[in-house]
Amino acid sequence: MNECLLCKQEFIPEISFLQIFSWSKYREPKICFRCLHQFERLSEIRCKYCSKNMNVAGTCHDCLDWQQIYGQNLLYNYSVYRYNDYFHDLMVNYKRYDDYVLYEVLQEICYKELLKIEADLYVPIPTSPEHQQKRQFDTISAIFSGLVPLTPLLKKKSGCGAQGEKNKHERLASSQSFYIDKEKIKKSFNGKSILLLDDIYTTGRTLYHARDQLLQFLPDSEIKSFSICR
Amino acid sequence: MKNLTALSGRQWLVSQEDSSIFMGCSKIKVIENNHCQRCGGLITAKLPNGKQYCRACIGIGRAVEGDLLIRYQVKVPFSKKKNGGLTWHGKLTPLQLSISNALVKNFNKKKNSLVHAVTGAGKTEMLFQLIAECMRKGKRACIATPRIDVVNELYPRFKEAFAEIEIGKYHGREFKEPGLEQLTICTTHQLLKFYGAFDLLVIDEVDSFPYVGDPQLHFAAKNAVKKSGVRVYLTATPTNDLLDEAKNGKLQILKLNRRFHGGFLPVPREKLFLRPFLRKQKIHPKLIAEIVKVIRSKHPLLLFVPHIDQIPVYLAALQKEERLKNIKMDGVSAKDNKRLEKVQDFREQKLQLLVTTTILERGVTFKHVWVIIVAADDQIYTAASLVQIAGRVGRAQNDPGGLVMYCYRKYTKNIRSAMKQIREMNK
Repeated sequence: MNECLLCKQEFIPEISFLQIFSWSKYREPKICFRCLHQFERLSEIRCKYCSKNMNVAGTCHDCLDWQQIYGQNLLYNYSVYRYNDYFHDLMVNYKRYDDYVLYEVLQEICYKELLKIEADLYVPIPTSPEHQQKRQFDTISAIFSGLVPLTPLLKKKSGCGAQGEKNKHERLASSQSFYIDKEKIKKSFNGKSILLLDDIYTTGRTLYHARDQLLQFLPDSEIKSFSICR
Repeated sequence: MKNLTALSGRQWLVSQEDSSIFMGCSKIKVIENNHCQRCGGLITAKLPNGKQYCRACIGIGRAVEGDLLIRYQVKVPFSKKKNGGLTWHGKLTPLQLSISNALVKNFNKKKNSLVHAVTGAGKTEMLFQLIAECMRKGKRACIATPRIDVVNELYPRFKEAFAEIEIGKYHGREFKEPGLEQLTICTTHQLLKFYGAFDLLVIDEVDSFPYVGDPQLHFAAKNAVKKSGVRVYLTATPTNDLLDEAKNGKLQILKLNRRFHGGFLPVPREKLFLRPFLRKQKIHPKLIAEIVKVIRSKHPLLLFVPHIDQIPVYLAALQKEERLKNIKMDGVSAKDNKRLEKVQDFREQKLQLLVTTTILERGVTFKHVWVIIVAADDQIYTAASLVQIAGRVGRAQNDPGGLVMYCYRKYTKNIRSAMKQIREMNK
């Protein structure tokens, strides 16, 4: 019997024969079947750059806007879920009410997809010092540190305010809030493939800013991103 | 120091560093011995720095190990209103009156009571004299209930009955902190914000979710009343812990087994089904036949299904049915944004059939409605919910009867217990 971290009801995890005999490490499920099915996977027809769901495959409006700034050099972003009400509630509990243990839920719903993407370095999007102090944990690192080795090259300036509390226009107008951690960055990182890690891709502003900063120091690197939700 | 009077009877969290400014308040560590002192919950979670925090009451601010819980109690003199501010001039039936008198008497003797009254007995009106007595003495009262809907329904009724008293209304969707009103109407969750605040605490619908089976809310209710305060529980289906308290002499049971119109509760019909209620998107033909019968008798029908995700499936199957072709129907659940509108449409009989879940089990009145519970043997239905659902039927003076049907495939303890309770109340 496990207790579901979301609905707090007890459930019996399903185990297949394949899992019993497989060598891969068994992950104890943290949420029940019912809760798991509330998350809505992105369908196959999506924007070729940012994974946004679309009616016809192609390039979404957000990415067309980015083309005006970045030309053909757009960021490839992988996402797994659509940002529905259920995901919204989960993120509210995780990031506003600061329920730390929910990182395990976020891990559980995305680890399979994340492990399919190969990269030399995994760089998490950092939290502002104010949030870090209030929450006493780092929301993004908490999710991904148990899944892949992290290289925290970026840091966030204080006093920028949260992206989640701004409207679309304010988000896009926000200025660069990241800087490079000079102690962590090495010359040898240049040319390696880098995967940026974040929770939600809304307008792309955050991830493009992060890429801009990294490219200044690592101009020959190929940078892509992974965000759980689009 | 700021004037803290408005916070009298409240408890709130501060971090260790900011605690020195609250002079004259009691301070305790919020997390001690693996338990949260605010909600009584067992601690199961830790932050990466090793500090424990409480998940159970995180919705009203995270309590982390090392934080302090500040409690402030000061005597607040409320004005003693003549007549207790009661402006209600309605009349109680003799049975209601006897309960109302007993409640006032128990309050003055500082004795806790449990009002066990059938659904539709007019419990709210029986509270008016009790609240008035408390107000008259310049004391503070609170009416708490597990459901937001019930808070929203009680508030206007009390506002009308106590036009001269300031009443506070608080629940999770109001987004405001409790103030210092003499009468507070709130959800049981809000009680976590109070400590030793009330001389009288009334808990309505004690048997309903989420209060029932939630030790945190019971803990909060005990903390919210003053040590010398009085508790009153209202229910149509008392839970075992309350009955135990009554046996131990801590509670006096006041029983009212007639509806305000003097009629009996309708006794449910039980119907056994051998095959599944729903197979290949088709409803069992016998169940369809029963539904058609109700619709032909011109009664609006509430069809209860166990889970939210089954609502669209049943609805689609019903819409395909030839005999129900011209019938307006819809489904409503807790997650529905248009819930209030749909319920209103059903109330005005713009809809003839409403497929729903336990969300509509209590606190709602529909004229002439009949009820069918599909899969009454599902574990989601406690004996209390089965009794409550049956209680939706026959609430009008001119139509005290009606059909309640429990459809089951396996006779459960809960069905038996619900039937027994209904028959006993009808004796």
